[in-house]
Parts: sequence; structure tokens; C-alpha cells
Amino acid sequence: MLLRYALILLSRTAAHRPLLQRFFAIAAVWSLMAFAPVHADDVVERGEYLIHAGGCVTCHTGEGDDAQPFAGGRALESPFGTFYSPNITPDKRTGIGSWSDEDFVRAFWEGVRPDGDHYFPAFPYTAYTGASRDDLLAMKAYLFSLEPVIKENRDHDLPLMMSSRRSAGLWKSRYFDAGRFEPDPSKPDQWNRGAYLVRHLGHCGECHTPRSRFGALRDSHELQGNPDGPEGEKVPSITADPKEGIGDWSLGDIEYFLDIGMLPDGDFAGSAMSSVIEDNTSHLTRDDRLAIATYLKSLH
Amino acid sequence: MQNNTVALAASLVVTIAVFLSVSTVATAQTAPEDAKDYRTAVMTSLRGHVGAASMHVRGIVEDNGFLAVHAEGLARGAQELKHLFPVGSNVGDSEALPIIWEEPEEFQKVMENAEKATAAFSEAVAGGDKATIGRAFRDVGAACRGCHDRFRVDQD
Repeated sequence: MLLRYALILLSRTAAHRPLLQRFFAIAAVWSLMAFAPVHADDVVERGEYLIHAGGCVTCHTGEGDDAQPFAGGRALESPFGTFYSPNITPDKRTGIGSWSDEDFVRAFWEGVRPDGDHYFPAFPYTAYTGASRDDLLAMKAYLFSLEPVIKENRDHDLPLMMSSRRSAGLWKSRYFDAGRFEPDPSKPDQWNRGAYLVRHLGHCGECHTPRSRFGALRDSHELQGNPDGPEGEKVPSITADPKEGIGDWSLGDIEYFLDIGMLPDGDFAGSAMSSVIEDNTSHLTRDDRLAIATYLKSLH
Repeated sequence: MQNNTVALAASLVVTIAVFLSVSTVATAQTAPEDAKDYRTAVMTSLRGHVGAASMHVRGIVEDNGFLAVHAEGLARGAQELKHLFPVGSNVGDSEALPIIWEEPEEFQKVMENAEKATAAFSEAVAGGDKATIGRAFRDVGAACRGCHDRFRVDQD
């Protein structure tokens, strides 16, 4: 409120003030901005944006037109069995309504449930571990602003050797490194923003990076395509390789594809990417889509 | 007697006419492979219009009056879509999925979506408002994707 008042004051009077006074007015606004409490609505709005960047709704919503968003139940078929996404609406019993901030952050950073059990990596904490605490708590604020939906989670359908969550713990001890995203100071901001969105929030590698026999992403082949993607689909390379990847696409082509789904030749993508565009990338700002494109164009 | 002759002649004419029309239909019937190739050709032309229109919509090229032509091409082409999938044309390297013929009502809906979206885009272009044109083009994309999602073989 104070901040808004100061901004209005500044904009109304700035034109008539001498330079020095204007400088003080700007400095006053700056100091207010530094201490102004972040308005709850702004956090929710930022959280909604980040939920799109994180691609949450696509997996956490069941199939069919009447499925309630974020109430879970979508089957994720993998070579390791079928996983059913859980309810992440704020219902206290069947959703995540009783989770603390720490519970929420720990799930993303460490792949651990509030009761201490391990998540299977079908929940891509291997990517989300890089997300910032601020971003995660904004996402939580948005999810908690939604209407709770009472919907029981469905048990995963896994082979016997995978049915214990201890197997997830074992897997993590070999293949999971927890850690936040560290910007590369030698690269421009746009590249770093793109890297954060692609590698962490957007978890693009989950489909576009090939996996080892045990389902770990082969980081040395980042985004080079996956012959055995979700539901048996072949997922293309999105590196800058001109033959295998999208090296002959311009930054604008990639940005526009993520916006409306058009390939540079005028065709429109179907398949799983269609939902990614519809639910997620089309909701991002143009700048963020360009940042994604910038990062992708840097991969060879 | 004369009446009988007239009647006979008339029925002969009718018979010949019917025979001719039937044989014309028979020769006009398109071979499945040709129907598939024709579908591919029309789809390719639509893709061309979309690609060209997108460059106007994105402001990459100046509209020299021909955006309307591409929009019209899309709208008219979309009207033809429902004629492009005759039964039996799912042959060779066709990208059409069998669900097209298994769920004709569902398929009909997405065809109608494409017709509506492209007609609206053509109208928006005639209206000239950039924001409206942009939104309408986005809807064209959604209509294309909506169909390709369910009814076309996934592309690599």
C-alpha cells in the first residue's frame, strides 16, 4: 500500500521536480520496495505462473474432460510399472492440505514424503531439486489457494521388486544428487534463466533425455532425444544439432512453437507435447520462452 | 402399337442413361492410394498457408494484402477436410489413425472445429485488428493440434 502510494506520488510529481529532489524520491521508493512486504495475492499469482513453468497440472490431473485439475489420478506408464499421480489440492486428508512449508520444500529438494518415505522418481524431484525455496513456496501458496478436492490417491501398479519404497531409496542413493541451481556467471542472464526453466522447473529432460537401464537420465546426452519415451513414444532431440535436433530453428521459431505449437514448416505438433504447450509453455512470458530457446540453442 | 414402341424407346433411353451415369460414377471413384495422396497434398497446402500466415501474424513480413489470400485458402481448405477421408483410404504411408473411421462422430467434431476456427481467422484478417488476428490464429493452431493429437500418427 505504502509502496503504491509512493509510486503514485512519484509519477505525479516527478515531471515538476528538480533533478536532486527526483533522485531522493526515487531512492525513497527503492528503499520502500526493499522492505515492502510481498503481498499475499502477488505470491499466489507468481505461484500460479511457476506452476505452469513446472508443468504440474498435466500429470496431476486425471484423464477426461470432467477430471478436476490437480486432483491426481493420471496413469504414468513407464518401463518400471504404472504410476498414478497423487492429489495435490489442499484437501487435508486426501491431498496435501496438512503439509508444512518444510514438507513441501523437502519433497521437491530431496524427494522425501512428509512421513519420511522416499518418492519414486516418477515425481521428477531429480529436476525440481534445483528450484529455489522462494519459487517452491509461491507454488505452494497457489496450490493452497485452490478449492480442496476430496479424492483418494490410487496405489501405483508396480512389479514386486519395485513395490517397496525402499527400492526408491536405493535408487536415489545411486542416481540422485540434491542441489540448487547455480547460475553460470560466464553466461548471460537469459541463458541462465533458460537453464533454470529447462533443467529444473520445466523438467524437459524427463522426456527428451535418454535413460540408462535403471531409469537414470544420461546427463551426457542431455535433451538428445529418447527412443523409449513415455508410453513408448519416440521423443525427439531438442539440442542445436542441425540434423538430429532443432539447430535449424531460429530463436523465434522455438519461442513461437512453445507458444502456439506450430513447427517452422507450418505443421502443428500433436502427441504429448501438445499438452505441454497447452497447459504450460503457452502461459509463460515471451521472455521466458526466449530464455528456454536460448538455452536449447546452446546445447550440442 | 405405336404407344408400345414409344414406351420401349423411352425405357431404353432411361436404361442407357442410368448405365452411363453408373459407369461415370464407377470411373470417377478414386483409388484408395490416390485418395491418400490427394489428402496428403491438400494437408501440405494447408500447412503452407499456415506457415505463410504465421509470418504475417508474427510481424516477420509486412502484410502486402496477401495475408487475406492465405486466410481464405485455409478457410476454404478446411471445408474440404471432411471429404478427404473416404473409407478405405487408410493405405500405404497414411498418417491417418484408424480411430477416424471408428469414431466418426468425434472426428466430425474436430473437422467442424477446424472449419469454424479458419473461418473466424479469415474474418479477423478482413477486420484488420492485429490482436484479434493473433487470437484467431492461435485458435486455428489449437484446432489443428486438437485433431493431430488424437487422429494422426505421432510425428518424430
